[in-house]
Amino acid sequence: MVLAAPLLPGATGGPVLVAGIGEMVITRDPATLLVAYGLGSCVALCLWDPQSKVAALAHFMLPSGPLNSPPVKFVDSGLPTFLTEFRRAGGQPRRSEIKAAGGAAMLAVVATTMEIGKHNGEALQAALGQHGLRLHKQDLGGKAGRTVQLEPATGRLLIKSVSSVSVL
Amino acid sequence: MHAPAITPAAEYALERTFERAMAAAGRALAEMSGQEIQIVATEVTRTTSRHIIESAGGAETLVVGVYLGITGSLTGHAMLVLQPSGARRLAAMLLDGFAVPTPVSPDSLEFDEMEISALQEVGNVTIGAFLNEVARHMLEPVHPTVPIAIADMAGAILDGVLADLTMDSDELLAAHTSFINDGDTIEGAVLVMPQRASLQALTAALGAA
Repeated sequence: MVLAAPLLPGATGGPVLVAGIGEMVITRDPATLLVAYGLGSCVALCLWDPQSKVAALAHFMLPSGPLNSPPVKFVDSGLPTFLTEFRRAGGQPRRSEIKAAGGAAMLAVVATTMEIGKHNGEALQAALGQHGLRLHKQDLGGKAGRTVQLEPATGRLLIKSVSSVSVL
Repeated sequence: MHAPAITPAAEYALERTFERAMAAAGRALAEMSGQEIQIVATEVTRTTSRHIIESAGGAETLVVGVYLGITGSLTGHAMLVLQPSGARRLAAMLLDGFAVPTPVSPDSLEFDEMEISALQEVGNVTIGAFLNEVARHMLEPVHPTVPIAIADMAGAILDGVLADLTMDSDELLAAHTSFINDGDTIEGAVLVMPQRASLQALTAALGAA
């Protein structure tokens, strides 16, 4: 069964830009929704500039690694690229709302994978700090998958899991 | 960038290995349940982390995954992936006469303990059969870890496992698998995700490096 996209409350039926693993999406169009589906240990970072209305979403997979293709696979090397692209689109990170979701431990008993989600969240906060930025709101950790949807018109971040929908 | 570890010859050898393993797993499940159960590996493909989530129906598709780690002379991850309705029918097939089915929608992600236990056993038998077949060629033990069944979005279930592999390899094996019982066919996929060195050792052992 595929959950229709976008399923979340507030969906307008307008265009949807999807960030796959290691990808980022940016828009100035208030009708375009930015979505990352099925986050487990991956982390979605969302920036929304209330002045320029530029919205951006990055779908990070791992805490650290070389700058590579896809561009935001790794938090440490991908964040500068993400911020650069956000500025190029007209957004200012320092006046933006910064939110993150994901970083779950889906297979909590599997030693090699249990810490990836936690480390992703920690790496994200550390990397933002290096740029003089911080998370304003977050929904990180837990043991459930998440789909996130950023609304450029309002900056609302809707988060859906199998059992609930919440708003940041 | 690594060269692909899975050559066409290796892919052919892996197909035959999956076929033998699933036939053996079907016999084991039939003996266990007292029912006529056949498991057929209909197609074995080499794929990448990006495509494996797409082939599961997309990152937000709700699935049941039975995860087992691979240890011993090979290391990596393996997972049996089923649609929720198929997982429920498969569990009912194995539990026939031993448990009262929970009255829920076929697509519900709520599974009781008996159903979870049955699905974990299916994962154990199918993936264990593949690893046994591989170990026969490698002449060294290959062990599955204790199975874990989880129901959630496909992307969420798989991304942690893929993240563990991604620095090392981006080649996976996917066997489309059919569980056939009394006219009912339940489609699933057996995913084998070895570390790169293990994938090379595996194909070498199968005589297809």
